[in-house]
Order: sequence, then C-alpha cells, then structure tokens
Amino acid sequence: MWQVHYEGKAVVSDGSREKCEADVARLHAHGLWATLEHPS
Amino acid sequence: MELTLESAEVDLLREVPEQMRALYDAPPDDPARARLFPRAYLDPTEERAEQEWEALIHPELLRERLAGLDRVVAALDRAEPRGRRFRVALSPDEVSVWLQVLNDARLAFGTRLEITEDSDVYRIAPDDPLGLEKAAYAWLTTLQGTLVEALLTAVPD
Repeated sequence: MWQVHYEGKAVVSDGSREKCEADVARLHAHGLWATLEHPS
Repeated sequence: MELTLESAEVDLLREVPEQMRALYDAPPDDPARARLFPRAYLDPTEERAEQEWEALIHPELLRERLAGLDRVVAALDRAEPRGRRFRVALSPDEVSVWLQVLNDARLAFGTRLEITEDSDVYRIAPDDPLGLEKAAYAWLTTLQGTLVEALLTAVPD
C-alpha cells in the first residue's frame, strides 16, 4: 500500500503504486508538490 | 471573461512565456526549474522508480506547460486596443490555462525570489534590489486572484 503525501505530511490518497503515481502526476501538473511513500 | 490591461501589464505578461521558456531550458538542478519538476519519490532507495517516473511524466508535463505558454501569447496577440489600454477576451478554457501558467510562473519566480508563506510581497522596501521583480510577482499574484474570483462568481449557463 502506497500513500501520496502533500507538503511532507498530509496523506491525500493511497492505493497501488500505479494509482499513487498517477495522483502525484496530476498534482504536479497543478503545481502542487506531492510525493509517494511506502509507510513501513 | 474580459481583461482590461495597461500597456505595461501586457508587457509584463509577455515576459512570462519568454522567461518560462528560458527556465525550461535551464539545467535540471536549477532550483526554480526543479520546483516545477519535483521528485515523486523522496526515498533514496526508490531511485529507479523515480527515474522511470521522470522519464514517463516530465516530457508530458513540459509539453502541457509549453502549450499553455503558447495560448497565453495567442490571447495577448488578439488583444484589442481600447484607448491606452488593451482588452483581452478569454474563453473559460483559456482562463484555466492562464491560471495554470500564472501558477507555474509564481512558483518559478517565487523560488528565485525566495518567497515564503511569511513573505509580504505587497510591502516592498524602496531600496530593495529585487523590488521590481517582487512588484511583478505581486502583480501576477493579484491577477491570479482576480481570475479565480471571477471564476467563483461567474453565473453558470
């Protein structure tokens, strides 16, 4: 399970790596710096 | 939506696509450019995933951004003189594009000017060597806000 983080903290979505990468791409296209994390 | 712009404002808006195109040609480690193409993975053990993601996503992101710049220039080229001012008509689609271009420009210029959430860009010291740039940034901020407000109060069809 992956999570999409915004501003290093808020989890804005989760799911498969593919889903999270798509979410991150969309956020980057809007100028928002989101990242993917695999919480351990 | 119709914008009425002073001649100096049109000049400033014309600067934006030029400067952004130059920025997109800058090396990837340029902080302003990097802010527009940030990493998806911060974890250094995911470097392979990051490289694959960048190879897939960054060219498309760049294409969209360049297309947006072209549309801003096209709208400015259509501007009609109204006395000393210029009227620019924007379709709803174009308003969205302008908002994205303005947002990208503010991110890039904001990085260069080290603007933070605590910065007050509307109060510029007279001896600030970056005063002109900050004033330009403040104006782009105001324009973005104006477009957003107009969208929010627009009467739906």
